[in-house]
Amino acid sequence: MTEPLSKIPDGMRYCFGREASLRRNVEAIVMSVFDGWSYEEVTTPTVDYYSLFEHGMGSSQAHRAFRFTDTDGRLLVLRPDVTSGVARASVTMFADRNRPLRLCYAAQVFRQQPQSHVEWRREFTQAGCELIGANSSASDIEALLIACEILQRLELSGNFLITLNDEGVFDGIAAQLNLDPRSRDEMRQLVDSRNPTDLEGFLSNRLSSPNEGRDLTLLTQLAGKLDALEQARRILTNRRSIEALERLEKLWAVIESLGLTDSFEIDFGDVARLDYYTGLTFNVYVNGAAVRVGSGGRYDGLTAAFGTAEPAVGFVLDLDALTSVLLSRNTDLINPESFKIARSVVNPETVLLFEEARRRRAKGDRVLIDS
Amino acid sequence: MMKLTIAIAKGRLQDESLTLLGRAGLSVSEEMLSTRRLSVEENSGRYRLIFVKPADVPVYVEHGIADCGVVGRDVLMESQADILQCLTLAIGYCRMVVASPSESDLREYGTLRVATKYPRISARHFGSRGMPVEIIQLSGSVEVAPHLGLADCIVDLVETGRTLRENGLRVVEEIAESTARLVVNRASYQLKTEAITQLIRRVERVTEEDRIDDRDYSKSR
Repeated sequence: MTEPLSKIPDGMRYCFGREASLRRNVEAIVMSVFDGWSYEEVTTPTVDYYSLFEHGMGSSQAHRAFRFTDTDGRLLVLRPDVTSGVARASVTMFADRNRPLRLCYAAQVFRQQPQSHVEWRREFTQAGCELIGANSSASDIEALLIACEILQRLELSGNFLITLNDEGVFDGIAAQLNLDPRSRDEMRQLVDSRNPTDLEGFLSNRLSSPNEGRDLTLLTQLAGKLDALEQARRILTNRRSIEALERLEKLWAVIESLGLTDSFEIDFGDVARLDYYTGLTFNVYVNGAAVRVGSGGRYDGLTAAFGTAEPAVGFVLDLDALTSVLLSRNTDLINPESFKIARSVVNPETVLLFEEARRRRAKGDRVLIDS
Repeated sequence: MMKLTIAIAKGRLQDESLTLLGRAGLSVSEEMLSTRRLSVEENSGRYRLIFVKPADVPVYVEHGIADCGVVGRDVLMESQADILQCLTLAIGYCRMVVASPSESDLREYGTLRVATKYPRISARHFGSRGMPVEIIQLSGSVEVAPHLGLADCIVDLVETGRTLRENGLRVVEEIAESTARLVVNRASYQLKTEAITQLIRRVERVTEEDRIDDRDYSKSR
């Protein structure tokens, strides 16, 4: 059976009209905020070696890339993320630059095997930034403030929430339980789906006291402002988790002083899905989007795979999801230029017609050739 | 407080779900229910209930059209939807089993033919045991497939086991136990926190009562 030529491959789409215009504007706003914080734009290769992403994002995510082979037989992919390419550049091309490096991007990425029913696309527009070579809590705050400013500039104030967690909390518990990588993944999934019943079952096989298991399952539901931290202190006993709580507490104090507590929440159930984070993790939620529209955190091991270990913090936003939220909100962010009324230019004499059109264009008019 | 939309699985679970929600303080008038409307307002005006096929509950919740839903664990295992499973309920108990008409060891088949409505659960189960299987997806009356020679065994949901017995099948292995779950959309959980938390607390209280009743009952026997 032959497919009709009209068919579009699964997960691919067109974008036009108001949406196309809005998307371009959203991207421009995001990039201007990055620029305002002195982030330099980079574009990474659209086609790159599979091994780059295997090291950069881990094999479970890299497997989702569209794959093909190079003329020498090496495995190539359409980039499934931008972060990996940026990490490599930071230890090669930018190796001798002063630290910290501040880099940002906006680009399409391609992934197969959707991980949810909502995620039907296979081409995504991502915008993100990386702050590489700085380990201070100030750099964590910088990343959070940039994300916050972007959402405010997109007129989403009061309609977004950034949830904060620290990978150390989960990591400490996993270490305490002596989990192998597979069980670690299983536990991560149970916490991530906030499934207290199955988590309790999982823990009861691994803990001597059932009370301890019950306390740990409470973590999946523990969210809030400063009160959540205080409750977590009563539950967590291992050193690594407690250090993570101390980091979060310091971070929260700054957020409070900056008067931003309405936009943030601490949520111990909102764990990162990937195993590469090493400290702060955060997720971005916006009214009108059924899924997270952004995520990020600290991944101090990221560049190690490319030769030099450097601390790094960054985040990525899903520009398609943000655009579709804004599209339904009747925003005035849509480029007014393209909706200015066009002036028809009419003249039977071709040369005169285009002379007139050129004159009007020079004045900034929008023209429509009527021929 | 923001209004919540709750998706209820039609069929087996519907009545039990409504009774449970009723005890948690969410009531829908008989009049509303007797109509064939698939979307009804709860009396307090703070909730809207929608009635959809069980397999569609995770779909509505994942897309955020429904903020939460009541659906069996079996459906969640099959759909692998990316949603939160905040609460296990004490209703809709059943088991997901492998059943076969034959006495012989299923591991001894070159390729085991499995008839089921749950292709993913089946593939995962036999995959983890390293058994080669051919999965034959059906949409109902699965129990008759082995008898007619379509399959060597079935993977299906059992409540009492009567249908199995009447079709000459016996349970070979239990894959999982299933009860209903209260599921929640990820973004709703973060952005409608107050309303969601209140609903979870109310339903949790009723569910706890049932657990205690169950315990007393088994003790007295």
